[in-house]
Amino acid sequence: MPKIGVYVCHCGLNIAGVVEIDKVVKYAKSLPDVALVRDYTYMCSAPGQRMIQEDIKTHNLDRIVIATCSPRMHEETFRKAVAEAGLNPYLLEIVNLREQVSWAHTDEPGKATEKAKDLVKMGVARAKLLEPLERSRVQVEKSVLVVGGGIAGIQASLDLADAGFPVYLVEKAPSIGGRMAQLDKTFPTLDCSACILTPKMVDVAKNSNIRLLANSEVKCVKGFVGNYEVTIVKMPRYVDEEKCVGCELCTKVCPVKVPDKFNEGLSQTRAIAIYSPYAVPKVATINPKYCLRLKYDKDVCGKCLEACEAKAINFQQQPDTVQLKVGGIILAIGSGIFDASKIGELGYRRHKDVISNIEFERIVNASGPTGGKILCPSNGESPKTIVFVQCVGSRDKRFHEYCCRVGCMATLKQAVLAREHLGKDVNIYICFNDMRAFGKGYDEFYRRARDLDINFVAGLPSDIREDASGSIHFDVYDKGTNKLLELRPDLVVLANGLIPNDDLGKIGELFHVSRSADGFLLEAHPKLRPLESAVAGIFLAGTCQGPKDIPDTVAQASGAAAKVIDLLSHGEIELEPLKAIVDEDLCSGCRICESICPFLAVEMKTKNVNGKEKFRAEVIEAMCQGCGLCASACPTNAIKMKHYTDEQVLAQVQAACVEKTTKKGGS
Amino acid sequence: MSLTDLMSMAKPNLESREKILAKLTSKGLVNCFQCIKCTSGCTALKLLELKPHEIVKLVNLGFIDELASSDIIWTCVTCLKCFQRCPQKASPYHVIMALRNLAVEREAKVPEGYLKAVSRILEVGLAEPPAEVVTRKMEIFNRESLKLPNIASPKESFQTAFMKILEEH
Repeated sequence: MPKIGVYVCHCGLNIAGVVEIDKVVKYAKSLPDVALVRDYTYMCSAPGQRMIQEDIKTHNLDRIVIATCSPRMHEETFRKAVAEAGLNPYLLEIVNLREQVSWAHTDEPGKATEKAKDLVKMGVARAKLLEPLERSRVQVEKSVLVVGGGIAGIQASLDLADAGFPVYLVEKAPSIGGRMAQLDKTFPTLDCSACILTPKMVDVAKNSNIRLLANSEVKCVKGFVGNYEVTIVKMPRYVDEEKCVGCELCTKVCPVKVPDKFNEGLSQTRAIAIYSPYAVPKVATINPKYCLRLKYDKDVCGKCLEACEAKAINFQQQPDTVQLKVGGIILAIGSGIFDASKIGELGYRRHKDVISNIEFERIVNASGPTGGKILCPSNGESPKTIVFVQCVGSRDKRFHEYCCRVGCMATLKQAVLAREHLGKDVNIYICFNDMRAFGKGYDEFYRRARDLDINFVAGLPSDIREDASGSIHFDVYDKGTNKLLELRPDLVVLANGLIPNDDLGKIGELFHVSRSADGFLLEAHPKLRPLESAVAGIFLAGTCQGPKDIPDTVAQASGAAAKVIDLLSHGEIELEPLKAIVDEDLCSGCRICESICPFLAVEMKTKNVNGKEKFRAEVIEAMCQGCGLCASACPTNAIKMKHYTDEQVLAQVQAACVEKTTKKGGS
Repeated sequence: MSLTDLMSMAKPNLESREKILAKLTSKGLVNCFQCIKCTSGCTALKLLELKPHEIVKLVNLGFIDELASSDIIWTCVTCLKCFQRCPQKASPYHVIMALRNLAVEREAKVPEGYLKAVSRILEVGLAEPPAEVVTRKMEIFNRESLKLPNIASPKESFQTAFMKILEEH
């Protein structure tokens, strides 16, 4: 007979404020096989844990039920405590009385106490059937894959490489640098973005521990924490990376004009070109969509071929597949920018002088389409009045409900830059809703903008129109003055928010990382595990996890790198024993489990059964994440989930149902 | 009640607020964060001083009695811009319509034009009866000259159904 110890936690008043602990304790005492029941203010505290450990020793308890907060919070804490007392840590059952009872039913304390009793009863029923399990240990690969070469990927790669780990940095674009490379200055210090980023980009290229795979994409991910097998496809540049010296002679002779992606299409480059002035690697790439020879697959043009002294151009280049083995993965694929043309009334793409904030960054930048002069796209003249409009596509239920977190500060910075570039005679207005200057030095920067005579209109325009002469005008009602104002700007800059990257869906599927309701990648816990995904060994950095500014991105990247170092530094890791196992005698080889396993952990093997060759499923233990899909789908009940066996779960269900029937039938 | 409007010494009327909320299919009203987009684009603002954001805020705070008896709620021209563009789906238009219904219920003064429109709909089936159009060349067009059929008067079943709708709201 098992000897079960039941512990009821008050969690201060979090549980005890709603649930009547005395009644739960008294009820638990009446349950069969329960040898001991205790309650305590904070079970997770040192004296609380010690109490359990001493009871295990003195009363020879062999099952422990703790009715406390969610197992996501403290199951691991209590498992350690139980193990220290010499009991197998998997003989512990957590009953959630906080998230599932006291916090959920604050208004109904009576019913909450009843529910708490039921849950404790169910916990005891399951605890009886728990089996001891052992954790296995596996060797880990001491190398890391970083996906995305923006500031997050760069920072994480450098941290990992400096700690001695080989890093593979994969970037989809022809050069690393990401969004930050496009920015002119950074808030709130007005540091030149390129000046602080390019040295890091060069460090990546120079670091012998980093292998940079630019112009490449991840195609397939297999394996499990510590032992991932990754397939990467290097797209052809049609230029030999080893031979190209970055002289740009080819670009000078290329006759095909192409919109420059780095300049947001505001200027033109050629079909063969280097991605940006600070590109790393500084190698030319041919755009196969525009290049005459590649487009028509004929022996035409070939001017770059003649011009290239290094003989680097190779029209025969094919996609190259690279196979990697890595222990940990950091996803740092960044975000997209909202397309304001979705909000028709703002006139973006309809009027040339309504531009987006990222376009403004390129216009104000010395390497941008206008050489750093702020000019109206429609007539090339210097604007006399500039209006910035906030919250475009963000805080808007029609598009993205969240705050983009960078719009306010980016606009303040751009307004200050406009003042610096154009002098004091230019009128600068910011139409805002709330001004969110929340970071270190941010509100001081907001004051600096006000010092520079930038006007703030507390209200958003409804629509932006054009009159017969082609000039832009709009009405905006100002909360401060209670007046309807009309603005006739020469240039309107829309504060487009950050949105989930187009690739996030694909990346999420590839790496089995789920996404939150806003579309960004979901962290394992919003407060306590913000750097990890729910998949062991895969970490998140930067704006792919949610909108962020540069300081937060860099902090998260360094944090994720430290997490990977922590994971891989011991050379081996412990695996949770919560895995599926297949009973070969029951398996019919129907392959349903193989088809639904999201982690590709089920393999079909031919086995000799009674002299006949038969298909049987086998779970690769290290890849199984213990999700239980296969166990519930198996038509012959051949698959058993350790720690969540049918018997254990059914015992809980029975415990939940029995009392209800006796209540009804008994009266 | 702990809230007072010191300009008029009015107190919030939470009962009416509940009533209005119950009339609205979308409860976006409570999400309004006063971005003022509705008022910036309001067709009736320039001539009639309708400020939809103020109405939404007043209803949200419960200051409804003065609104329900004021003329301002009848100035909305129902262009639906505020409904379409509101980033919080608060739809000031629907709030104003709910206020109008409340005003009718309380037998507050309803502008004459609306009453006329109702009687015209009952009589001819149209809010605005067909009129003649004069072009720049001083040509006169009407339904007859355009060889359009005459509009039949509404049937009795329409009139009873219409009256029923009026009573229900």
